[in-house]
Amino acid sequence: MEAFINGISYYLPEKVLDNSTLSSMFPEWSVEKIAQKTGILSRHIADDNESSSDMALKALEKLIKECGIDKQSIDYLILCTQTPDYMLPTTACIIQNKASISKNCGAIDINLGCSGYVYGLGLAKGLVSTGQAKNVVLITSEMYSKIIHPKDKSNRTIFGDGASATLITSQPNTEFFTAKIKNFKYGTDGSGYEHLIVKNSGVNTNRENQKDLYDEEDNFISNDDYLFMNGKEIFNFTAFEIPKLVLSTLEVNSTNLSEIAMVIFHQANAFMLDFIRKRCGIDADKFFVSMSDIGNTVSSTIPIALSRAIKEKNLQRNQQLMLCGFGVGLSMGGVVIEIC
Amino acid sequence: MEKEIFISNVKQQFMDPEEIVLEMSTEFRQLDSYDSLTGMTIMVMIKDEYGIDIPESDYRASKTIQELYDYVLEKKGK
Repeated sequence: MEAFINGISYYLPEKVLDNSTLSSMFPEWSVEKIAQKTGILSRHIADDNESSSDMALKALEKLIKECGIDKQSIDYLILCTQTPDYMLPTTACIIQNKASISKNCGAIDINLGCSGYVYGLGLAKGLVSTGQAKNVVLITSEMYSKIIHPKDKSNRTIFGDGASATLITSQPNTEFFTAKIKNFKYGTDGSGYEHLIVKNSGVNTNRENQKDLYDEEDNFISNDDYLFMNGKEIFNFTAFEIPKLVLSTLEVNSTNLSEIAMVIFHQANAFMLDFIRKRCGIDADKFFVSMSDIGNTVSSTIPIALSRAIKEKNLQRNQQLMLCGFGVGLSMGGVVIEIC
Repeated sequence: MEKEIFISNVKQQFMDPEEIVLEMSTEFRQLDSYDSLTGMTIMVMIKDEYGIDIPESDYRASKTIQELYDYVLEKKGK
C-alpha cells in the first residue's frame, strides 16, 4: 500500500520577537547584522502559559478545518517535539484528549529535532502502508524559547516557536494538495550528541552545573539547564554530510537533481542554507527558503515551508520535491515526494 | 600551490568578496565583514580544496593569509 500527504497546516504563536528588540537587548549586534547573517527578521515566541500541546492543538484544529477532516477518522497521532509538556506522560496522549479525538487512536511522541519531520513521515508511511492505521496525523510542535537562556543572544536570534500538522493517508485526496511519499534515506552520528544539547534535561541532570558561564569579555557561554549549541560542529556536520545525504536520497528514488522541481531543506539559517545549497549543486531557483518571519522552528521548519510552497508556488502534478532534515542528534533524513 | 588561487579561495568565503582587498600580508580577521561563520567556511574550503583537516586551534593561530598558506603548504608536504 502507498502513503500520501493529504494536507498540511501550521500555527505560529502571536507574540513576535523582532531584530530591533534583540538589538536593543544586545547592542553589539545591529538590526542589519542580525538580518544579514541569519536571514531572519522576526520570530514567533510562545506565551509563558502556552505549552507544546497547546500549539499542537491549534495546528491540528487548523488542519481539520482546512482539509475538512472528520476528527473521529484520525486513528494515529505522532507528535515530534523536543519540548514535551512533561518528561512523562506522552504529550501526544494529552493532545488526543484536548482535541477530543477517538479513544481508538494510537498516540506517540518522537524526540527528534531538525530531522524529525522526515522521520515522522517515514513512521507515518510505515503505519499506513502496513494497514495499521488509515489516517495518521503527524504533528510537530517546538518551543525552544522555553529552553534558551535569556542571555544567549545567538540562539535567541536563530530559533522561533511553531507547530504544524500533516495528514498522511493510504489514499490520495485530489481535492486538496496530495503528494505520494516515496523513498527515504536516514543517517545518524551520535558521536556528536553534545554539540546540540540541554544537558540537564533528563535523568543525567547534574545539579552542580546550573550556573551561568561567561567568557573573559563577560559574554554568556552556557548554563547546563539551557540549550547549548556548538555552531561550528553543527556547521561541519551539515557541510560534509548533507551533500552525501542528498545524493543517496536521489539514488534510493532512482532520480537526479534535474528531475526534482523543488528542494526544501530544514530551515536552519539563511547563510548556512545558501552555503549548503551551493555545495550540493542545487539551483537557487528550485531551492525554497521561507524563514525570514519565523526563524528556525526546529522540526516545524520543513512542514511550514512545504505548506507555504504549496500556497505560493505553482506546483504541478507529477513534480517531485525533495525534503531534507538535519541537526540535533546528530541526525539526518531525506525523502522525495511526488505531487498527485 | 598557487598563491593567487589560495587568496581567491579565501576571498570567496567572505560575504563581500568584490569589495575586500586581500593580500598575503592581510590580517584577514581584522576585515569588517569577517566573523565566525566566515571562519567556518574557510576551514571547510581548506578541507575541500587542499584536503587538510585544520584544527580550530591551528586555524586561530594563523593571523595572516601568508601564515594560513604556509600551514596548508606544510601539511600538504607531509
